[in-house]
Amino acid sequence: MRIPKALSVFFVFQLLIIFVVSAQSLDKKVTIYFENKIGIDPLVLGNPVKNINGEEMRIERYKYYISHLSVTDMKGNTHFASSQYYLIDESDSASKIIKVNLPTGNIKSIHFLLGVDSIRNVSGVQTGALDPLNGMFWTWNSGYIMAKLEGVSASANTPGNRFTYHIGGFKNGMNTVKEIDLALPNTSGQLQEIHISADINHWFKGNTIVKVAETPICHTPGALAVKIAENYMTMFSINRVN
Amino acid sequence: MKIAKNIWLLFIICIAGAGWITIDTHYLRPTPVKFIVPKGWPQPYYDFSKNPLTEEGIALGKKLFYDENLSKDGSISCGSCHQQFGAFNTYDHPLSHGFNNSMTTRNAPGLFNLAWQKEFMWDGGINHLDLQPLAPITAENEMAETIENVLNKLKADKEYRKMFKAAFGDETITTQRMTKAFSQFLLQMVSSNSKYDKVMRGEASFILPEKLGYEIFQKKCSSCHPEPMFTDYTYRNTGFTLDPYLKDPGRMRITGDPKDSLKFKVPSLRNVAMTFPYGHDGRLFSLISVFEHYRKSMVTGPDTDPLLKNRIPLSNFEIGQLTAFLYTLTDSTFLKDPRFAPPGYAYNGKPPADLHQ
Repeated sequence: MRIPKALSVFFVFQLLIIFVVSAQSLDKKVTIYFENKIGIDPLVLGNPVKNINGEEMRIERYKYYISHLSVTDMKGNTHFASSQYYLIDESDSASKIIKVNLPTGNIKSIHFLLGVDSIRNVSGVQTGALDPLNGMFWTWNSGYIMAKLEGVSASANTPGNRFTYHIGGFKNGMNTVKEIDLALPNTSGQLQEIHISADINHWFKGNTIVKVAETPICHTPGALAVKIAENYMTMFSINRVN
Repeated sequence: MKIAKNIWLLFIICIAGAGWITIDTHYLRPTPVKFIVPKGWPQPYYDFSKNPLTEEGIALGKKLFYDENLSKDGSISCGSCHQQFGAFNTYDHPLSHGFNNSMTTRNAPGLFNLAWQKEFMWDGGINHLDLQPLAPITAENEMAETIENVLNKLKADKEYRKMFKAAFGDETITTQRMTKAFSQFLLQMVSSNSKYDKVMRGEASFILPEKLGYEIFQKKCSSCHPEPMFTDYTYRNTGFTLDPYLKDPGRMRITGDPKDSLKFKVPSLRNVAMTFPYGHDGRLFSLISVFEHYRKSMVTGPDTDPLLKNRIPLSNFEIGQLTAFLYTLTDSTFLKDPRFAPPGYAYNGKPPADLHQ
């Protein structure tokens, strides 16, 4: 692939500009930790637990996409923190730690999308966290699985007692992408870490009660997926900041 | 003055830097291939700027298309069910054979003119050509393999590593690169050289039955099958009853909307003489049975397409003329084009004698 010279010059200058801008405003390295829980207990894959509806279960797989990370400062200005897409995977501890550059000064709140925006759902095959290889993409009905929760429960009236919730859908009326806004407590001194809890109980109890005994499976975009997404969008809270 | 001098110096450094970048990639540059839009056709929908065609990319796509190792047990390639002599449908099969004696649930459509198509599959569930190969590769009743395993097989193969390097600059093998190579091969498959096309270009003329058939076609068929693509790419309920075994709801599976029940994509009629059997599940075995369906046996109801509420009145005479016209849509150049043929295939334009698998 040949890069025209004029374009290269443009890129070089653009790089310079980006470097100067980022050096000015985004010079604080902050680590965000996603801590998956069920109730108040840390989630341990494969351990027997009881969910908020009293159903016993073992959670085997838990993944969700985080993207469009941004923060709002005390003056109310919003700063984009990362253009990356992150697949938080409970079985991969490194995936639950996100390092971003944030502006200096106090930060009022943090925002992100739970899921993958519609543009990336209609733009062919992506790379990195969005690679269909990661098992978070429906090949028969193009679109990302925004969040996935799988496990075993005696309540599940299915082969192997498995419950599988694959939540996705980005089109009108079936959209499961959720905007998450979390207010940060006042931090005295330098902010270095943000610990975000994600309580799986919210999948099962919110606007709609989702019982494994009644609906153990969700594998397509549609009404059930939308209801579950509306439930789980409240699962995040700021655990602590350092 | 000094500032101006410094700016000039910076400018020269940038130019030199840019020159270095250009030289560095020069030796790895694949050979570009121009995509030619047939005269009078609309601009293609596919965004070639995101995946420029190159000889090396197309060659890689072809190797992938005909590679049986992409399936779980090494028995099925894309080309197994998309056969060139059938305009890349499964010749003479209502449904296709998949992994471990399984059967597919839908008729494999012909593959051509895909650059103009926005959505794929009979229900339009796939929204980008690059994504399309992932569905048959991973479907349990087709190639039954995982994307991860496919990539691992490719990475372990020296020839593939070489071909990925030639097409994309280095040996990195990713889902995106693999599917872009697939698309490059598929995009090349343009069928625009049938007798009909030659007549439209003024290079040939219809004989009388073809001419009469063309007039009947324009009156009775072209609302859904408009020229030059011979499909309007919509989804329609054409009066097929629900198959009790396949239970295929068609477009409704994708939209979740009961109004889309039993709607299927309008197929292109190009090469239609070669793409039998017809219909989403191949239930109509011949053109005659297609005509019988539309004039007599289709089941009409509240959900039937408005254009078909009264079926399509067709006399025996009209069916004869229409058949003559539809045969002019066979593009024998395309069916025999060595660029698309399986590697090492001695081409005689006929299906092999031991075809039935």
